[in-house]
Amino acid sequence: MPQPSGISRGKYALKDGKLVVVDATFDGDIIKNIRITGDFFLHPEERIEYIEDRLKGIPIKDVKSVIRDAMKNTEYAGISPESLEIAIREAWKRRL
Amino acid sequence: MELRVIYDDKHRAYWNMGFDESLLVHLSEIGPTLRVYGWNPPAVSIGYFQSMEEEVNVSRAKELGVDLVRRITGGGAVYHKYEITYSIILPNLKGRILDSYHLLDTGIINALKSLGLEAKQAGINDVVVNGKKISGNAQTRKYGGLLQHGTLLIEVHPEEMFDILRVSDEKIRDKAISSVKQRVTSLREQGVDVDFEELKKYVVQGFKEALNARLYEDTLDKKIYDYAHKLEVEKYATTEWNFKR
Repeated sequence: MPQPSGISRGKYALKDGKLVVVDATFDGDIIKNIRITGDFFLHPEERIEYIEDRLKGIPIKDVKSVIRDAMKNTEYAGISPESLEIAIREAWKRRL
Repeated sequence: MELRVIYDDKHRAYWNMGFDESLLVHLSEIGPTLRVYGWNPPAVSIGYFQSMEEEVNVSRAKELGVDLVRRITGGGAVYHKYEITYSIILPNLKGRILDSYHLLDTGIINALKSLGLEAKQAGINDVVVNGKKISGNAQTRKYGGLLQHGTLLIEVHPEEMFDILRVSDEKIRDKAISSVKQRVTSLREQGVDVDFEELKKYVVQGFKEALNARLYEDTLDKKIYDYAHKLEVEKYATTEWNFKR
């Protein structure tokens, strides 16, 4: 689907077919807004909103540490801190 | 273990999801519960983390009268028409959540065995027969309990499915259809001729064996239905919930 202006997309597909999609807007190297979607599993599910909130307003260089902290005490499959970071960096590289 | 069984009918998507959640919320009062059910009209359910507009051709679904609903569980989009769905509500199991998928998938594997098919667990949440997916399953844990729901395909119709589900690029629609034909199977394709009503009994028996359970049927308190209705109207039928991502 075409993305609204200013939103860039990064994806990470796992071998088992699960997909992580990041749609984000940036202000320089700061993440302004971010939405993480896909057919993965994350327990507890509502943690995804917390992860998104934690990522808003941070510089791209801090993504790794923020994700690791925000995903503490979760169980996941089809997504991981590494794959989420890759998808975010891809979205950043593709920013308009 | 005593396991309450609800042999249910085909219902609207919003009711189905509201009822499953209400059963989970009331676990401590109603005890372990297994429900087998279907969907009428046909529906697409998407995983908690998915975007409705990315997964579904919403206007086409409306034209065809297909209901659209977001689940409280993760995983992918499912077209519910030629299949049976189960939900099982239990006190939390020990160990990792993802490991417990395997235990509960045994219910479906047992049902398939009774129907003469050799099935096994594959990937995170699938059950396969002859290397092809026949059942998908998803679990959540909240309100002090666990809910796993999943489907078992009676028939598979990829062309009809991809008339409603989106693929990432229109050009690869044909590829998506042939990929589903290669990767997904159904009871009918495997030579098993069983209808929805009969299949309920096989699924229930499969879980009875998997959990070494004693089955019983009993009426549910009105408040379970009232809360399901509240969730149906105030959550699962709302644009706010279904299009929130």
